[in-house]
Amino acid sequence: MRQNVLIGLALLAGLWLARNLYVIFLGLPDEAAQGAIYRIMFFHVPSWFTCFTAFFVAGISSMLYLGKKSTMYDTLAVSAVEVGVVFTIIGLVTGSIWGRIIWGIWWTWDPRLTWALITCIVYSGYLMLRRAIDDPTARAKNSAVLCIFAFASVVITYKAIDWWRTQHPGPVLSIRTGGGNMDPAMEAMLFSNWGALLLLCIVLVAVRMKQEDTSREVESLRRYAHAA
Amino acid sequence: MNFVSQTLTVAGKDIRSEIRTKESLNAAISFAIVILVIFSFAVDPSAEQIKEMSGGLLWIVFAFAGALILNRSFARELGNDCLDALICSPVPSAALFTGKAAANFVLLMVVEAVSLPIFGVLYNMQWMRDPATLAAVCMLATWGITIIGTVFSALTVNLRLRELMLPVLIYPMMIPALMAAMRLTTVLISEGTIPADDIIWLRLLVGFDIIFTALSVMLIDTVLIG
Amino acid sequence: MDQRNFLYMFYGFAAAWGILALYVISLVMREGRLRKELDSVKRMLDSKG
Repeated sequence: MRQNVLIGLALLAGLWLARNLYVIFLGLPDEAAQGAIYRIMFFHVPSWFTCFTAFFVAGISSMLYLGKKSTMYDTLAVSAVEVGVVFTIIGLVTGSIWGRIIWGIWWTWDPRLTWALITCIVYSGYLMLRRAIDDPTARAKNSAVLCIFAFASVVITYKAIDWWRTQHPGPVLSIRTGGGNMDPAMEAMLFSNWGALLLLCIVLVAVRMKQEDTSREVESLRRYAHAA
Repeated sequence: MNFVSQTLTVAGKDIRSEIRTKESLNAAISFAIVILVIFSFAVDPSAEQIKEMSGGLLWIVFAFAGALILNRSFARELGNDCLDALICSPVPSAALFTGKAAANFVLLMVVEAVSLPIFGVLYNMQWMRDPATLAAVCMLATWGITIIGTVFSALTVNLRLRELMLPVLIYPMMIPALMAAMRLTTVLISEGTIPADDIIWLRLLVGFDIIFTALSVMLIDTVLIG
Repeated sequence: MDQRNFLYMFYGFAAAWGILALYVISLVMREGRLRKELDSVKRMLDSKG
């Protein structure tokens, strides 16, 4: 049952992404200043939003874990962080390719980019910390604390374009500027692709959670075998 | 005993034991001096550009030397189960934590007080142009470093790879404080004052200290007791 | 310039999809490894008791 729902959702996400790709390439015109390359934004911005969402969910479920001590929350946190890191890497790589054309460079140490990289490193540190602890309870507790600390870097990344004058483009979405900075059709497509990626993210997190449960089972069976 | 005197007791204990054994202070100070000396081979110390990178150089030295102190902070309590004894004592874990952080803060400030004049001599730098502000910046940033470092030192104390994991986790987390401190120290050494443009870094530093101190004090019970 | 613009747009999409595909492959591989581990542990338990 659960598996069928997941396959259905994955198919839905795939179809949605394919339909969006079709519109992005054939339905929308080139942007006046940037040309064809601006289409990367339809992946770049939604994947950052998706990873922010994933890290937010991870932070909340880490807090819930510390409050309720149920392994389910720990499972959700680690799965969300891992999928979030994947979307962070997608965001960094696509942004870098966009920068190569628009700025002429792959990377610059501007506050937004720096914070984005720090976020990526901090959450990779989270995944590393988990590997370094053998005891499941200590692992869940310690990584939950780290996850709450790490969320600070997400907040700073999100707000960096407001706090500093950055080379990275400032806010363009109408929820932050009040409108007028972006063509409505393009903005709609940005959110549509975010929806699709978010759906994909949910499927991936669910798959990863299942695996975490399996590895927990392996761990406990192994301990039982050694005790017996 | 109220919270403050409990904090001071823990801090006093840590500083006293450090003064008697000098196990991490000696290592941290000599490590800081070694980096300063090695770095003078890497660049031409008389060059004007050294002014531009003075803040960066100093805070890299402080952060690296700080990791040596922070690593020992909780690890020193592992022998003879001292950590369990501390947790069992009537001191709340928040006081235990702030006490340990205060001790680390004092130790790291000592390292900085020793390295700054050596930096000035080795690189022919006039670093005393605005000592009060420089001291304030150093204290704010050092508090940020120690608060992050102490909470992660408690978090990683029971790990096999403790010495490896601590730097991997703390350096990215303390980048905000380091970035602000580097920028402010550089302008204080090269220009003597903080220009209006850079006040935002001071605000960032204060905000960092407040947020992470509050977060650490809130979470330390979970970290130490579970 | 236009040619390069278009080419890099293609690279960007290829990179995004490529990273996603790599992650999905790693998930599938981990699934296989976990299943094998679970089987071997279960077999070990069966033979013991």
